[in-house]
Amino acid sequence: MIRVFLCEDTLTGILTGVYDAWDSRLGHENVRLQSGGYENMELFCEYAEVPPDLEKADRVLRTIRTRLGEEAYEMIAYAAAYPHAGKADAIYRMIVVGLHLADGQKVSGMLTHPDVRLVFELRRKAWHIAHRYMGFVRFRELKNGVLFSGIEAEADVLALIAPHFADRLPLEDWAIYDRSRRKAAVHPAGKGWVILEDAEEAFAGLQELEEESRFDRLWKIFHRAVGIESRSNQQLQMSFLPKKFRPFMNEFMDC
Amino acid sequence: MEYRIEQRMDLSQKLGILADAAKYDVACTSSGVDRNNDGKGTGNCISPGICHSFSADGRCISLLKILFTNECIFDCRYCINRRSNDVPRASFTPGEVCDLTMGFYRRNYIEGLFLSSGIMESPNHTMELLYQTLYRLRNEYHFQGYIHVKAIPGADPVLIERTGYLADRMSVNLELPTAEGLKALAPQKQRQKLIAPIRQVRQIRIQNRQELTLYRHAPKFVPAGQSTQMIIGATGENDWQIMKVAEHMYKKYELKRVFYSAFLRVNEDSLLPVLPGGPPLLREHRLYQADWLLRYYGFETDELLSEEKPDFNLLLDPKCDWALRHLDRFPVEVTQADYHTLLRVPGIGYRSAGRIVKARRLGTIDYGNLKKMGVVLKRAVYFITCGGKQMYPVKLTEDYILRNILDGKEKLPPGVKKEPVYEQLTLFDDPRFSV
Repeated sequence: MIRVFLCEDTLTGILTGVYDAWDSRLGHENVRLQSGGYENMELFCEYAEVPPDLEKADRVLRTIRTRLGEEAYEMIAYAAAYPHAGKADAIYRMIVVGLHLADGQKVSGMLTHPDVRLVFELRRKAWHIAHRYMGFVRFRELKNGVLFSGIEAEADVLALIAPHFADRLPLEDWAIYDRSRRKAAVHPAGKGWVILEDAEEAFAGLQELEEESRFDRLWKIFHRAVGIESRSNQQLQMSFLPKKFRPFMNEFMDC
Repeated sequence: MEYRIEQRMDLSQKLGILADAAKYDVACTSSGVDRNNDGKGTGNCISPGICHSFSADGRCISLLKILFTNECIFDCRYCINRRSNDVPRASFTPGEVCDLTMGFYRRNYIEGLFLSSGIMESPNHTMELLYQTLYRLRNEYHFQGYIHVKAIPGADPVLIERTGYLADRMSVNLELPTAEGLKALAPQKQRQKLIAPIRQVRQIRIQNRQELTLYRHAPKFVPAGQSTQMIIGATGENDWQIMKVAEHMYKKYELKRVFYSAFLRVNEDSLLPVLPGGPPLLREHRLYQADWLLRYYGFETDELLSEEKPDFNLLLDPKCDWALRHLDRFPVEVTQADYHTLLRVPGIGYRSAGRIVKARRLGTIDYGNLKKMGVVLKRAVYFITCGGKQMYPVKLTEDYILRNILDGKEKLPPGVKKEPVYEQLTLFDDPRFSV
């Protein structure tokens, strides 16, 4: 009988799942990890829900960093942000493989191993999305001086992009709100950033600064002027900047 | 009759004119420098660069690309801003450029500033204005994002040096690949004068590198390096000459990038060619591909082209073209070949080559793995074996590979592609394929 550990779809949740699965002492072939909720339940399996536990996750995280190295840690942290049904199990298997190697640091290069490769691929995908959002996030200045941005990302990129913006705009109050997850990264001026869960009410009824429309207009003028007509290539633009990003970018609004 | 009396322009009109005038500059990269914020200002840089938007022509918008002024004392025939053209003229003030940059940057519209300029009054006067703008941006507004600035040829070397300590990247446009072309289309510019600031920046960068090894916090001079650009197709140069110039710039002047810009006929001028098919975009694309081969793949211009074969095959990317002419070096065994041999296989890029080298130490590679590692098998399959086996039974002959590769995989404009012709075999057949 295989025991399936159902963990929360966050890095903390998955790492807690890794801890509990290992701790169950059923043998690696008899456990499986699944993130998110119950989906396609199978016969001949028992399901165990794993509540996220910071302490357990932290212990697994420390093990990863010391035994498998920073590279593997980054792979796992990024992969956990990408929506994929098999990611939790792949992360578990990767850690198992890594801890059985004489030199655990080598696990991040084992691209011929299917689970390591999956984690590697997910990391790459999550990084691509995060990198795109570093460019495509658009802030608007609110009446209270806060720079605010709304996104709807397919991966949970907030924790991946927040350090970048915290370094970039250290003296500004800013917030990036992910509508699809109802989470926000919030950064008070001169301090560190935090992730705010269930932030729906906090961002209701925001009012923009009057000056905002000026910069908005200037940016649209610039965006239009910089394209060369005789090289026009909508398809190329579409492949670099697909339509899913455009509802949140002011240069593509009302034009 | 309507008279237009000169009136004060507002910022949005100026931006419209000066962004429009700057759009023909190709470089819009924000890469090459890693800098964290020191906690006292606005901005940082990350070395891969960030694209913030894409314009209708599919080019990336990373920097606020503007001219400081489009007034110009020169009369270069290919340029929209030449003295003899009747176009609306405008100039920013340093303060306006700073406000625009900061306003856009805080809203995450841009990664930094790209400041170029027409030559107003004299090169020195123009360079002085660019310097003032950068000085205020760095010291009054505490801007720590990316700045790309043009060095104005003919300006005082002291001004160029001072500006270089404030900028991340500097560039001087070579405009045309050869001195003869320059003489024909831009008679007021001289090749030697264009090269002088490039040489100067290179020398200061070398000194600066030594200073930085001694004193870690010494000010950095043009940390993201230099770039330049050339217009392709305005004069009669062939690809071999263009690549030779680019290679020379990389080797002798340590340039980070050479940009190629397909000639756009923006002025009616008897000396400019009329290109019936529009700008030579495909040729530009092949030059960029070859440029990558020079910088990342260890190729040399003379391997790709020669005096006898001076132009790239428009149908094939330069690497495939090279491989087809050197079939004696293939197939390559991916489980054993060294990194540099792998790099030369069409369909294997420098990233996937690195991954192969790393992965095969720790496990066995098969074709499924190769695909997952990012190898483009539809091209590579003709040139590799894995564990001694080919993926499919393919023939290692030139026209077999060519026919299969050209089979509608890469999107080519209509009319360019001609099917290889089947001919009656003769005893004295020339097996070499030519287009």
